[in-house]
Amino acid sequence: MNLNLIIDALKNPNGFFVATPLSTLCAVFATMFFIFTVIYSLKHMQGRTGLWRYYIYLLATFIATLGIFFSTTFIVLLVLWGFLGLLLYLLIAFGRREGTPEAARKALVIVGGTDVLMLLGIILIWKLTAGSSGLSGLLFMRIDSAAGIPLSGTLSIVAYLSLASAAFAKAGAMPFHTWVPDTAENAPIPVTAYLPASLDKLLGIYFLARITLDVFQMTSYMNTILMALGSITIIAAVMMALVQHDMKRLLGYHAVSQVGYMVLGLGTGNPVGIAGALFHMFNHSIYKSCLFLSGGVAERKAGTSDLSKMGGLVKSIPLVFVTFLIASLAISGVPPMNGFASKWLIYQGVINSGGPLWVLWLIIAMFGSALTLASFMKLIHTVFLGQPSEGVKKVLSEKKKRVEFSTVIPIMVLSILCIGLGVFACKIPFAECFRPEVRGQLDLPGIWQSGLATLMIMTGLVIGYLIYLAGTIKKARTVAPFVGGETLEKNPEMRVSGVNFYKTVKDIGILKVIYRLADKKLFDLYEVSMKIVAGFGLVFSFMHNGLLSRYILWCLIGLVVICIVLI
Amino acid sequence: MTIIYLVVFGFFATAVLGLVTSWIDRKVTARVQYRVGPPFLQPFIDIVKLLGKETVIPAGASREVFLSAPLLGLAGVIAVSTILWVNQFFAEGFAGDWIVIIYLLTVPSLSLIIAGFASGNPLASLGSSREMKLVIAYELPFILAMLVPVIGAHSIRIGGILEAQTTGIFAGSISGILAIIVAILCVQAKLAFVPFDIPEAETEIVEGPLVEYSGPALAVFRLMKNMLLFVLPFFLIILFFGGMRLNGINLLWTVLEYVGIVAVITVIRNTNPRVRIDQAVRFFWGPMTLIAAVAVILALNGL
Repeated sequence: MNLNLIIDALKNPNGFFVATPLSTLCAVFATMFFIFTVIYSLKHMQGRTGLWRYYIYLLATFIATLGIFFSTTFIVLLVLWGFLGLLLYLLIAFGRREGTPEAARKALVIVGGTDVLMLLGIILIWKLTAGSSGLSGLLFMRIDSAAGIPLSGTLSIVAYLSLASAAFAKAGAMPFHTWVPDTAENAPIPVTAYLPASLDKLLGIYFLARITLDVFQMTSYMNTILMALGSITIIAAVMMALVQHDMKRLLGYHAVSQVGYMVLGLGTGNPVGIAGALFHMFNHSIYKSCLFLSGGVAERKAGTSDLSKMGGLVKSIPLVFVTFLIASLAISGVPPMNGFASKWLIYQGVINSGGPLWVLWLIIAMFGSALTLASFMKLIHTVFLGQPSEGVKKVLSEKKKRVEFSTVIPIMVLSILCIGLGVFACKIPFAECFRPEVRGQLDLPGIWQSGLATLMIMTGLVIGYLIYLAGTIKKARTVAPFVGGETLEKNPEMRVSGVNFYKTVKDIGILKVIYRLADKKLFDLYEVSMKIVAGFGLVFSFMHNGLLSRYILWCLIGLVVICIVLI
Repeated sequence: MTIIYLVVFGFFATAVLGLVTSWIDRKVTARVQYRVGPPFLQPFIDIVKLLGKETVIPAGASREVFLSAPLLGLAGVIAVSTILWVNQFFAEGFAGDWIVIIYLLTVPSLSLIIAGFASGNPLASLGSSREMKLVIAYELPFILAMLVPVIGAHSIRIGGILEAQTTGIFAGSISGILAIIVAILCVQAKLAFVPFDIPEAETEIVEGPLVEYSGPALAVFRLMKNMLLFVLPFFLIILFFGGMRLNGINLLWTVLEYVGIVAVITVIRNTNPRVRIDQAVRFFWGPMTLIAAVAVILALNGL
């Protein structure tokens, strides 16, 4: 009986919480990730202290997320959003690296700071709609009552940008992205797979979609800004990811890069691109959490996530390797996975968006995809396929422990979803869910015939296998690898670890300068602001240096000023 | 079911034509080097010979990945060839298949890279890393050059590009000429021919990713490369020359265009030394991207 009450309450369009098709879909995905995270944490977080707090935080995050998806008033959304920022800080603090406190602080500052901007945006919207007056009007202002604000005056543009910056910080788009790689490196793996990889993307892009499509009327100028920010995010993040040494940090940079695709799709302004962006949001959460969870198993096996110390793990965890491979192909957008389906929609949207610069955005998006592929090839080699390092050799020589059921179930289901959503992309009724959000008709200029392409690829595989059978593949024998007559066991320094694969790219002229500046954290907004604040502190500490003589000086100066003013 | 027939037909046609093209390439190279050159059936005999050789798997390699990497590459090439043949003869295709082809064309390189990684051999790993860097180097100007016909035809379907060329082929415009030059050099890199055969430099890293392959697995890889040797000029002809027209005098033009592209590739192959990987990356991200960008800007302005 209680369930019926809740469902009826959700269907009531005047209540505090209303279920739209998009919200329902997001909530279903959030539930799925919550269940997977809990199952995965059962094994992964075993033996840590204070686990009861950890599960409470997970549950609270889940409930807050549901609240945000279903809320209809701005204030409820803001409060829950802030709540989530606090929970993010608390969850990151479960990490056991030395950079953990700093990373948690950074996440709290960036997400919390943009919270304040969100409040500013809400107040400006209240002022602009000039509907209900007084504080109660602000408290109960509904999102759909503030519909169609034109982006003409300064106030509305500032309102939109403030709200958008909150969404960007949550999702991890530039320029507020810097907390994501640090969190990915320092927080425990289930937290990383739960929050920055999946839930935050769903939340951030959901909010961005709501304000872009419902609350404000976009102009082509603002669309261009969105597309530019998206494209810059794509390319800059993936170039940073190419040269990382830490597996989790690398995956974090890729999470930032994929958000660029979503922002790009939302900025196209036409239904195809927007549908592509929303579809990409769901796909990304699936394959990103699969990547993080599989990478977490690899990290546990090898004992480290430093890329130069891993390698050769495919013999000990073959199933994890397969899921990692599938998720890597999905994130690179190789047909027929789901990543390709959503990227295809986004490209169609960009091409149809008009304006003079669509070629530039398309080039950046497609090139970013190629770089993503290259980066994941490096990762697959360095973690799984390459020659094992000393530490890993010890692990391999131990008795092979089967990976636990609870760890394997989430990644297997996620990778099956990757393939399934890709192969059946044209049959999923996503259009029904997106149609109310997407103004105008969602007639795609033709559907991506995923079934056809899969059939072609399957037939090709069968032909290849038939060629194999015609040969002598059944009687294969094993020999030592050929390295010009030497033996690999006697020469451990011949091991190619894969960390320096992209040193060539890093050393090219102008890129060398950019990478060096990025190493000095010049592009990190948080660090730059920290330096500015520290600068202020320096000024103040000069004025208040604790010696009595300085304070007497200030008193004298103040007295002189007062005398001059009053006499 | 018709799809399966089309795929099998596409496979056989592409395989035969690819092997013939490989013979043309080897014969011309031999003539340039004052040799006699192989007989006509040599590429076919090579594939059949490899099928009978022993398969040897290196210790330390992951067996399943090692053996399935060639299949992945072959499947990718077969898919691309099917789409191209279908567009050529049935003028249907499906929407947005330009994007699909560009993405599927990375699959053969991808399979080569995975093959190198799965061999458990440091030489193979190095060769694969070079292949990866080469791929990210030439992808940028390649996409730019392939965008020129799309801009000219205002359509992202191969069928649309073909239809737009019934009035005039894209190779006639200035942007088309620049784009073709860039495209042929990128195709050179895609096929890993000199001067861009950095991943498989025989004298440096002993065949690179393929060092541990023999027998049917190597046969599949060779077949994949020869099919790619046909598919890529075919793609260029569809995009820039209006496809293969098989009626009357146009048949001669088609054969000339195809042989012309292959001849250019062979001549470049025989007259240049191999470049280093950083030179290649700088070359593709520097002058090539600039020329391709100029071509795109010209195409956007209608030239």
